[in-house]
Amino acid sequence: MSKNPYAVLGVKETATQEEIKKAYRSLAKKHHPDLNPGNKQNEAKFKEISHAYDQIGTPEARAKFDRGETEENPFQQGGQGRQWSSYYNTQQNSGRYSQSFADAFGDEDLFEQIFGRSRSGKKSRQHTNEDMHYQMDISFADSILGAEKVITLANGKNLSVKIPAGIEDGKKLRFKGQGNHDFADVPAGDAFIQINVLPEKGWIRNGDDVEMELPVSFFEAILGAEISVNTLHGPVMLKIPPGVSTGTKMRIKGKGVLSNAKQGNQIVKLKVMTPKNPEPGMVDELKKIQTKYQYNPRESMSENHAGGTT
Amino acid sequence: MKTINTYQIKDAAKNCGVDKAVILQFIQEEWITPFDKNQLQLDDEDLERIKLIAELQDLGVNDDAVPIILHLIDQLNLYHQGLRH
Repeated sequence: MSKNPYAVLGVKETATQEEIKKAYRSLAKKHHPDLNPGNKQNEAKFKEISHAYDQIGTPEARAKFDRGETEENPFQQGGQGRQWSSYYNTQQNSGRYSQSFADAFGDEDLFEQIFGRSRSGKKSRQHTNEDMHYQMDISFADSILGAEKVITLANGKNLSVKIPAGIEDGKKLRFKGQGNHDFADVPAGDAFIQINVLPEKGWIRNGDDVEMELPVSFFEAILGAEISVNTLHGPVMLKIPPGVSTGTKMRIKGKGVLSNAKQGNQIVKLKVMTPKNPEPGMVDELKKIQTKYQYNPRESMSENHAGGTT
Repeated sequence: MKTINTYQIKDAAKNCGVDKAVILQFIQEEWITPFDKNQLQLDDEDLERIKLIAELQDLGVNDDAVPIILHLIDQLNLYHQGLRH
């Protein structure tokens, strides 16, 4: 049987939600397992407090409890209750965090660390160093491939900016401590660099893919061909199968945004181009071919709208 | 040998009951140092630390105080380890 949550939190049954929250917070702060490492008694107490708060911490839960619909303490029943952190347990056998703490601060005096820090922490509330904002134009190719650029900051300092592959237009990069540092006694502000991707004619981005249009002759469209195509990662040979049309899309794998998490492709949209000023001989030959070999490109349209050749 | 479970941000978010953006903020603030920074893979230690920070915030701890408390908790854990060994 669970204890009365009002009693556990030390509030009256007429207490307001605000009072309950306040009581919970003050008890939880005192008994939080991570603030009392290894103290089993405290841990049990903390669970009791948490469960009490689960029961009456929100108006809905409280109304349910007040109606007598109690729920068993999930911590006692081994049920699906709120999962409390057992951060302490992860740190007991040389956890990464306490280990890196030992590496960083092992030799320093404990009190100097704590009180030295909190003193400067107080000052930062009176004045702070401002963040600085910059804009950087990058090419379409750099936005896809990633790049390393150097930007000169307002204070004359050069900052090397690593642009991750696949960065999106308008994205801001943050550089901690590279902002204003007028007040030497508090940490410097940050620098924010907003990326502006310049458009590239004929290329567009679609998620992690890049798209471009590739003109092909009607010979190539009918017969198929192997054509050298530019990708942002260098030229590749693209095999065009026979019988493609304008609008046929082909995918060149792995030539879009490439990073650990992304595997973009290049999408090639074919565009069949007829010669602007065909030689008379060519026209004659084509006419001969046309009378000999016919095909109806509007076959799939309904008969009424097929539109004749006359 | 200890086996290490690793999680992607979205799975970690689900596991900890917080939003993906919250975890990204914790990483940006350097409260969380992902097990694998390049691939953004978190381990159980990271997950428990995320839950801890979320609980602290739940108790009314503000962003300025979070790193101070984490610092003290890490210190406490270190000394506690030292006492036991």
